[in-house]
Amino acid sequence: MYWSGGTEIITLGRVNLVYTEAVIDLKHIPECRALAVNDQSLIVGSALTLSELYDSRVFPLLGETGSGVADRTSRNKITLGGNICSQFIYKEAVLPLLLTDSDLVIAGPSGARRIPIGQIFNGTLRLGSGEFLVQSVTDSQYLTMPHFSIKKRKVAAIDYPVVTTAAIRTNSGIRLAFSGLCAFPFRSAALERLLNESKLPVAERVGLAASQLPAPILSDMKASAAYREIVWKNVLIDILTTLGE
Amino acid sequence: MKAIGRSVPKKESFDKVTGVAMYTADKVEARMLHARLALSPYAHARILSVDTSEAKQVQGVKTILTGDVSDVLIGEEIRDRPIIAREKVRYYGEVVAVAVADTEAAAKRAAELIRVEYEPLPVVNSPVDALRQDAPILHDKLGEYENEGRAVPVPGTNIASVNRLRKGDIDKGWKESEMIAENTVWFMPSDHAAMETRSATAEIRPDGYVVIDTSSQVPFTVKKYMANYFGIGSGWIVVQTPLVGGAFGGKSAIFLEPIVYLASKAVGGRKVKIVLTREEDMASAPVRIGLHATVKLGSTLDGYIKAAHITYRFDGGAYNDKSSDVAKAAVIDCSGPYGIPNLACDCFTLYTNHGFAAAFRGYGHSELTFAMERAIDALADKLGMDPWELRFRNAAVPGDTAPTRDLLTPSNLGDIKTCLNRLKILSEWEGWQVRQIDAYRIRAKGISCFWKNSSMDTDASSGAIILFNPDGSINLETGVVEIGTGTKTVLAQILAERMRMSPERIHVKLTVDTRTTPEHWKTVASRGTLLAGRAVLKAADDAIRQLLDIAACVLRADPEDLVLENEKVFVRADPSVNIEVREICYGYVYPNGNAIGGQIIGRGHYIQRRMNPLNPVTGEGTPGPEWNVGAQAVEIEMDTRDCSYRLMKAISVNDAGKVLNPEGARGQVMGAMAMGLSFANREGFDYNEQGMVLNPTLRDFSVLRYDENPSYIVEFIETPCLDAPYGARALGEHGMIGMPAALADALSRAAGVRLNQLPLYPETVWRARMGYSHVFL
Repeated sequence: MYWSGGTEIITLGRVNLVYTEAVIDLKHIPECRALAVNDQSLIVGSALTLSELYDSRVFPLLGETGSGVADRTSRNKITLGGNICSQFIYKEAVLPLLLTDSDLVIAGPSGARRIPIGQIFNGTLRLGSGEFLVQSVTDSQYLTMPHFSIKKRKVAAIDYPVVTTAAIRTNSGIRLAFSGLCAFPFRSAALERLLNESKLPVAERVGLAASQLPAPILSDMKASAAYREIVWKNVLIDILTTLGE
Repeated sequence: MKAIGRSVPKKESFDKVTGVAMYTADKVEARMLHARLALSPYAHARILSVDTSEAKQVQGVKTILTGDVSDVLIGEEIRDRPIIAREKVRYYGEVVAVAVADTEAAAKRAAELIRVEYEPLPVVNSPVDALRQDAPILHDKLGEYENEGRAVPVPGTNIASVNRLRKGDIDKGWKESEMIAENTVWFMPSDHAAMETRSATAEIRPDGYVVIDTSSQVPFTVKKYMANYFGIGSGWIVVQTPLVGGAFGGKSAIFLEPIVYLASKAVGGRKVKIVLTREEDMASAPVRIGLHATVKLGSTLDGYIKAAHITYRFDGGAYNDKSSDVAKAAVIDCSGPYGIPNLACDCFTLYTNHGFAAAFRGYGHSELTFAMERAIDALADKLGMDPWELRFRNAAVPGDTAPTRDLLTPSNLGDIKTCLNRLKILSEWEGWQVRQIDAYRIRAKGISCFWKNSSMDTDASSGAIILFNPDGSINLETGVVEIGTGTKTVLAQILAERMRMSPERIHVKLTVDTRTTPEHWKTVASRGTLLAGRAVLKAADDAIRQLLDIAACVLRADPEDLVLENEKVFVRADPSVNIEVREICYGYVYPNGNAIGGQIIGRGHYIQRRMNPLNPVTGEGTPGPEWNVGAQAVEIEMDTRDCSYRLMKAISVNDAGKVLNPEGARGQVMGAMAMGLSFANREGFDYNEQGMVLNPTLRDFSVLRYDENPSYIVEFIETPCLDAPYGARALGEHGMIGMPAALADALSRAAGVRLNQLPLYPETVWRARMGYSHVFL
């Protein structure tokens, strides 16, 4: 089992939900700790902590979305790669990477490969046997685009999401990605097309949005599906108003 | 030099902030064995078989205990609970087996390998379900259980106890009423969530002593009941309690001690230690009581309440433990702080397939207050009357009687009307109660009013011993457990004030050892300063008399002419004739070597005056010494779209009688307010339809965090209680009592719908607005 921040292995291990007899620590692989930006691209190592990403301010949308995960003390340990490869369904740090069509560098027994996130992340990161996430590579043009990130929780300031939404306004329209809404984090082309339908009033677009979801809205201890939908729709209105024309 | 009314820092703080303070689980010994629990995954099931063969193969395992190890049934009111489940499990998290091993890891591994075969049974998932005709019966031997006589069970049903109270003429009350309002509230059990999880060790020594270390509020009760349960002479039982890391009532139940005693017995008396994980502490150990209650009020059109009928259905969980007594405490004060002349209360403590209930800070009072205050608000709505005014008109005053028919006096009743008047000003109640901030945001205020008598055994007592040191300073020993309330420091202040010396010169013993520490009934009910405080005063007077006697010899003066001040004894009329306390507190040595006296030891005790138990039919009796009162308000800001809200401000005005330690008192009240808000806003177990707890973890059971707190305003008024040291009234629990009701009132005002369910998650508020019902997951 690969080890990065270790928060999930430790907390799930003590209640027998994770079992391993050996771990391989990725933090000492320099590529996994990389943080570099130039005119073309931003490289973020998978073993950087969510706190480091937030504090570096190089990719504000990623930093802010990651800062909604757990609490600061935990985020000092939780890493980008650990969050994306988490057993939990939320994986909120993946949302900005989905929105920016980032590439992921994956390494494994047969070497390293670079692959667009859309081809390897589908609800979860589809890693092959023995593979691990090394870094993400993001086109620098996205780093300064107007963005929005908001996490709605059941009641507490620190909790899993009722729904976490990240959005960015590109030249071709607003892109949105969600966590907590369905049983996996996602970005939906059909939904984006609808929500960018500028001929329709915002309220009407949002009213139709639920029909474009890739899966049923989650109903669990954090929120019923009906309430989640209300919360989500209010967020959509806020985003379309804030990032819209 | 005033010792009281001064913010003396807590004596234990220095050890706590440096991490040096020791708690029960911190004690490590090389030869200690470790126990871990196997818990039931079902809320109600028959145990078909327990297979320990695999578990016993784990290296280092000494023994595995199952229900067969003991047929002793335990419980403080009704002895209905096996120490380890036998035949049936009745709640999710019930202990079904215990593994004992050389190391905690081996014990854990073994506990996980214990194979239990269950046959699931239908569950009782709420107190309302418990009363249904076709409800599964949890205890078919209810009629055969030993009963201390305080609970009144109904065999053949799920009713663990019925309490009734009648005062005045209820029919006449309804006839005089021109307006009737009825309201029903409910909430599920929740957790105490103390920072320190429960732990205990037990050892049965070759000489016969049973030595128990436990994180408990009630070491003397542990001693008493261990003696009862296992037929051991109480002198052979030694219970030791160091600092306790938060308790809130949850550590007033006996839970781990019998388990770890049986474990030690099974391994030849070796010391066995058990420390609960957070998950075990939440699912397995006692919880806070749940409630479903209906309050019907009748009043005149100008808002004078003439009649009230209160029906409580308490969710006591799978075993009675203290739940029927918590329920009884709610009966005692069922009217709230109002002088209602005609009163009826029917109270059912019910068995359900939930964790069993222990005391929780407030002991039934934030529960009863939520029920009564929501009904008062419903009545105010119907009358079209300001809810503050309705409360003020009905506030109990000296001359009224309590529900128990005790006459209320200026000493035994705090000043409710002054609390309400101060609250009105501090909350700017007359300015506005609800207002729109912008398109989506609404601010609203809510208020509540409370009282609380304590409900102790009629012979609850406390003792104190003071011992002098050669430097003239004093060691103070009492049986109060330091659970974080700072009581031991306040007791030092009480002693210092009487001895007319500095509290810094009083050394308190923070740990309790039942073999040498004078008994203090239980560290519960906010009664440390009254019971132990009075004992300390008596011990001080005893010591002063001894000091004056010896000084009289030395100074060749009548003891009546002598005064103690500033660690000196001097002649009142001629202070130049004096002697230092340090020269006489260990006896006095004359210049030629002759000596008189010896180390001065002061002793004192206190027992409450003229208490008697309640009549189970009429509720008549004298359950406690005084009614402590206060008025509270909460201000919130709500987003009307999703009903999410922020706590903006919380106010509490308490009648403290006399504030002994201002910062300590503020801390107690503010902490209690935070706890009340947290309970009302987010704390509750989520059960599925099978009665399983879905959130027995702090991942999913959230408590209010530091930066989620509102701003707090705490104010005290001082109407002295003549029985209490320097007039001080109880404080420890009272800040929380009215908070749930005040929060619900504020949110109801913002949401435009009456909210009667806790916790008040934003979704709960939203569902009430939409008219949706509760769903099990």
